[in-house]
Amino acid sequence: MSAEPFPRPNVESSAPLRGELTNSDLDKSFTIGGQARPVLENINLTVRPGEFVSIVGASGCGKSTLLRLIVGLDSEYGGEIRLDGERIATTSLDRGIVFQDHRLFPWMTLEQNVELALLNTDTPKARRAAIVAEHIALVGLSGFEKAYPHQLSGGMAQRAAIARALVTEPKVLLLDEPLGALDALTRVHVQNELQRMWLAQRSTMVMVTHDVEEALYLGDRVIVMSPHPGRVRRIVEVGLPHPRDRRSPLLHRLKDEILAELTGNPAGEPANLVTFPARESR
Amino acid sequence: MNALLSRRAPRLALGLIAPALLLAGWQWLATSGGASAVALAPLGSVAAAFVELVGNGTIFGDIVATLTRAFTGFAIGAGLGVATGTATAVWPLLNRVIAPLLNALRQVPMIGWLPLIGLWFGTGEGSELIVVCLGAFFPAMLNTHAGIANVEQRYLDVGEVFRFTTGQRFRRILLPAAMPLILTGLTQALAFAWIGTLASELLMGAGGGLGVTLQTAQVQQRLDVILVTVAITAILGFAINQIIARVRREVLRWQPASI
Repeated sequence: MSAEPFPRPNVESSAPLRGELTNSDLDKSFTIGGQARPVLENINLTVRPGEFVSIVGASGCGKSTLLRLIVGLDSEYGGEIRLDGERIATTSLDRGIVFQDHRLFPWMTLEQNVELALLNTDTPKARRAAIVAEHIALVGLSGFEKAYPHQLSGGMAQRAAIARALVTEPKVLLLDEPLGALDALTRVHVQNELQRMWLAQRSTMVMVTHDVEEALYLGDRVIVMSPHPGRVRRIVEVGLPHPRDRRSPLLHRLKDEILAELTGNPAGEPANLVTFPARESR
Repeated sequence: MNALLSRRAPRLALGLIAPALLLAGWQWLATSGGASAVALAPLGSVAAAFVELVGNGTIFGDIVATLTRAFTGFAIGAGLGVATGTATAVWPLLNRVIAPLLNALRQVPMIGWLPLIGLWFGTGEGSELIVVCLGAFFPAMLNTHAGIANVEQRYLDVGEVFRFTTGQRFRRILLPAAMPLILTGLTQALAFAWIGTLASELLMGAGGGLGVTLQTAQVQQRLDVILVTVAITAILGFAINQIIARVRREVLRWQPASI
């Protein structure tokens, strides 16, 4: 773990230090057709408290599997995952997740869906309504409290899912391609909101995405993974303070680098990988 | 066109066209002489029979007896069906043990049980009720099982992330997610209970009810009484269906309007 190479805007000092996530020598394999196929191999990654880490990589690099392990939906893995020193074996209200599909319960209103997250917290019943309203406002959905999920647009439903994940104030929020299903315009909008919420809440966030630009815009660091089996290929520090400017030349330069890394054919890789020289030179 | 259908009065009027035509044709056939006049009593004499049956209280007693039988049987049969379907969906082991037997038994049509039930329990009111229960049991059980067993894993994951207890998982995920199918099962169960009620009354003839009256009227060759009773059966069945549809809409108001 390195020292902070860039200044953090204001919040750093006031927020308590919590939500340090360590993955050490993490291995995971699935049994397919009687054979063990490794999906994650030797993952070593420490996420600093309050840090926003993006993970990019081609399909099949085990990004989503990694999040399922961290959130505790799957406890069969080798190595260790620890949150603030405690080994992760099951789900916990300390760890929240936003899935690619919003997964709001269609039989409940937006308000009820968000409040459901508080069911097993020790939040006093009397305060729950206020906290729920606050988080619905945070994602800009005030006025839609009584709406059923089918009455919300894709972007609104995804924002509601983010509110539901944030309402328990988890130490770590995991985002599994949360904006993957949204159209480009909505996506930019929700990205901005996500950044704003992160700045307000300051919990540790780990986001998996296909979109390199999104990874760079939001992440303090970007983890580039390679597939079959999933491995950490490169870790890119994005030395820019938040909130960021999308037009920043640094972001564009890093984007080109990462894309070259993901699509190119550096030494050491099997020669039968298809290369795109034209794209690399751009 | 759709504007016409969306307003209440025209909707009602359109729905009444076919019954009115039926009655007109009926009256014409019944009074035209010839062979068909024997098959259909004129509306006037049917109305007279209706007045007679209302006057001596028969029809009221029949309706109460039949509805009581249908709903008691439905409550018991469908209740057991929902409970069994839930249990087999939640415990795969139990499902493995009893599902093959239940699936074999349900291949026997409701009426196929009558001789056996008659031999075991006689042809009294109790046996009639058993037929109704049997009819309601299977659709309720099968649909409930399918509904709960097929709840999507993605919703169960959410429950796990928020640390739901077994009870919370059942009440807040399994039950509401399965509700559309459970209600389909209950709708079918009620239809089967209704059929079972009429069939068992007709064939066992115990304890009064619309089916018993039909049976007696057939023996007495009272065509007018048969027609009144059949009409009342149809109207009651229709009303029950309307009520069920309304309950369904109310309970499932979270679903997008069907296409």
